[in-house]
Amino acid sequence: MSQTTLQRKKLNFASFWQRFGTISIMLLLLVVLMIAKPKAIFSSSSVPQILRQSAVNILLALGEFFAILLGYIDLSVSSTCGFTGMVAAIGMAYWGMPWILACLMGVLVGTLIGAINGFLINKTGLHPFIITLGMQTVYFGLMLVISNSSSVYGFPSGFTSFMNGTVLGFLPISAIIALVAAMILWFVTTKTKMGRNLYALGGNREAAWYSGINVKRHQMVVYMISGTCAGLAGMVLVGRLNAAAPTAAIGYETYAIAAAIIGGTSFFGGIGKIRGVVAGGLIIGIINYGMTVLMIDSSLQKVVMGALIIIAVTIDHFVTKSSKKA
Amino acid sequence: MTPVIQMIDISKTFPGVQALDGISFDILPGEVHVLVGENGAGKSTLMKILSGVYSPTSGRIICNGHEYSSLTTQMSYEEGIAVVYQELSVINELSIMENLFVGRLPTVKKLGISVVNYKLMEAKAREVFAQVGIRHEPDTLVGDLAIPDKQLCEIAKALISGARVLVLDEPTTSLTEAEVERLHKLIRELTSRGCSVVYISHKMQEIKKIADRITVLKDGKHVGTYPAGEVTLDEIIKLMVGREIKGTYFAGESAQELCRHPVIFEVRDISRSDGRCRDVSFQLHEGEILGMAGLVGAGRTETMEAIFGAVPKSAGQVFLRGKELHIQNPYSAIRQGIGMLTENRREQGFARNFSCKQNISLVPYIKESTAGGLGGLLDNRKEQAWAQEQVDRLSVKCTSPEQMTADLSGGNQQKVILGKWLAAESEVLIFDEPTKGIDVGSKSEIYMLMRNLAKQGKGVIMVSSEQTELLSVCDRIAVFHMGELKAILDGKTATEEEIVKISTGE
Repeated sequence: MSQTTLQRKKLNFASFWQRFGTISIMLLLLVVLMIAKPKAIFSSSSVPQILRQSAVNILLALGEFFAILLGYIDLSVSSTCGFTGMVAAIGMAYWGMPWILACLMGVLVGTLIGAINGFLINKTGLHPFIITLGMQTVYFGLMLVISNSSSVYGFPSGFTSFMNGTVLGFLPISAIIALVAAMILWFVTTKTKMGRNLYALGGNREAAWYSGINVKRHQMVVYMISGTCAGLAGMVLVGRLNAAAPTAAIGYETYAIAAAIIGGTSFFGGIGKIRGVVAGGLIIGIINYGMTVLMIDSSLQKVVMGALIIIAVTIDHFVTKSSKKA
Repeated sequence: MTPVIQMIDISKTFPGVQALDGISFDILPGEVHVLVGENGAGKSTLMKILSGVYSPTSGRIICNGHEYSSLTTQMSYEEGIAVVYQELSVINELSIMENLFVGRLPTVKKLGISVVNYKLMEAKAREVFAQVGIRHEPDTLVGDLAIPDKQLCEIAKALISGARVLVLDEPTTSLTEAEVERLHKLIRELTSRGCSVVYISHKMQEIKKIADRITVLKDGKHVGTYPAGEVTLDEIIKLMVGREIKGTYFAGESAQELCRHPVIFEVRDISRSDGRCRDVSFQLHEGEILGMAGLVGAGRTETMEAIFGAVPKSAGQVFLRGKELHIQNPYSAIRQGIGMLTENRREQGFARNFSCKQNISLVPYIKESTAGGLGGLLDNRKEQAWAQEQVDRLSVKCTSPEQMTADLSGGNQQKVILGKWLAAESEVLIFDEPTKGIDVGSKSEIYMLMRNLAKQGKGVIMVSSEQTELLSVCDRIAVFHMGELKAILDGKTATEEEIVKISTGE
């Protein structure tokens, strides 16, 4: 008898965790920050600051989410982000392109990069880990080539003021871009047949094939979405830094993967929600912001970030495991 | 005789379900104790309690005189209980002998370091190979073995660990009849040496041949335990399902009459570049069920895969009501009205992360989609209607269409898979081993359903390894041998001997 009640308790905790786990982590982090540095949270600049920091993470994580949903991965999002940012920056600063056109070009280059990844994955049949690992270096190298390994700056004032603008005084434009992307992708995952097919592919690729789902076509679309999101992230990043620096996005794929996983996406594919990914991206943003205001040394920040990622995923892993065992 | 194992008054409750309700079950030394029951009757749950995977909610287990309220997998192993599950758990990447000793590799000290003692392993492996009849070298990779040999590996593994009670969970679903014979011979040898066997099966003919005693479970309750000589098969079936099941499912017309009906579906000279089917042609008439017989690998499934577009065909044409179809992949096959229930439920049948509703709506959604399966929106009301209709029609045992498919029993999972093809209103349905691992009650439901589909003018093709099933359901039976279609027999007059003769090339 006591055993069954124990099991029920565990189960309840598991279902609570599945629904509110990500939000709980976020609130916990905020409370810790409030206690450690109340000024940093209760100031008027804190919310826009966190949102601005999170926008790039959220955008990259949204694209990464789709790759992970298929049970795959996209390691090239960071250098795609850097490369597309550089392309747009060169367009604006050197070629004198109108900034809207340059940004559009940057995002489309992201889509194209995704299509190249998808093409290579479909044609070679290799695991996307290998393809995107190789392409990560290829795009990084290409960015160094086109930028001559140096930063590019000097953008039209319209671009700078747009990217750093806010709505209602606290909502940064960059966060709105991320939010709109999230809403579109939420629609794709929950309301379209393609979205449903992606979950089926992640759950059982062979069954999906026998049910008439064209595996390669969907893989192609997924990597194009991932590339497009990385392109958007590239624009937002250039806007935030007001420069395109060759090293700016290095290591960002880690944050993207972490945000998706912390947000409840299963690494084995087939399970995950867009709102979880957004929350995951925000968590990464809060951690980053918190460490900055707590004056933690930037090298040490990486150590803490890595450890926190492992802790969050560990908790998630044990909770889902215990809920399955019952 | 004192039983080796007694399970007394075992109950098991899962959240919301009473899986077992006061079941008592004992195993005598040297007997073959057959456990039967419909899908979801509790056979697997009972065996999982015996092997220590689940702990019972109440009840006692007495093994070799030791009493337990619940076993762990380790305790179960130490009491000499070994389970060979339907889904084999051998490791393909290791050799046979490594598989036999996995987790318990014998070691020897060399230069003060413990290293694996391959000599001892090989010697012991050869000894047990002779016992169970494995004719491979001990260092062969298990991945290179055929399924029956993999199964023998599992049995060998159990013997090497000193098992006294061997539980075989549906051991013959993937075996041909000759292989079943071989397995039964082995079981007899083991029991003559005092080993006990618990044998779970849905195949009635086999049960009669192998059983010493038969225990029937129904809805988690113990119906009774009978010495095999004292009950007839019909009585057992009646006890299992609680009703009588009719023997045949033929159409009212003879095969000759059916052949005068218009041709619905025609296949001409289908070949695959890997040569696993060559120049296969057949016609399917309105109202008939066409069976496909042959050994595993003879070209039945292989031909169907080529028709359905799951594997490319190198030559051949496919016609639906006189119109040629162009099928490149399952997507185009589905769009043109062809459906295929695949043989492997677990690998090819359904998405584990999906509810019944989501799995059922997958194919009808694809059929209505645009842009090569990418376009189109979900329609919750339609989805609900599709799922509810199929769940009712097939009487799927689930709490609601929202329940996860993976949580259902095997037979009900099969019904869900069937549901997605029915919801898509396929014109021609290929059933590849539709009753594999399914209880008699659900089997007869599926036969009835196939017959009804045929009556409604749909094309129905059934691939099966069970000849009795083909002979009681199909109006005509095509027999394959070595990738070729050798003959098409009249289902009413054909005999098992005839089919065996053609399919073995005699």
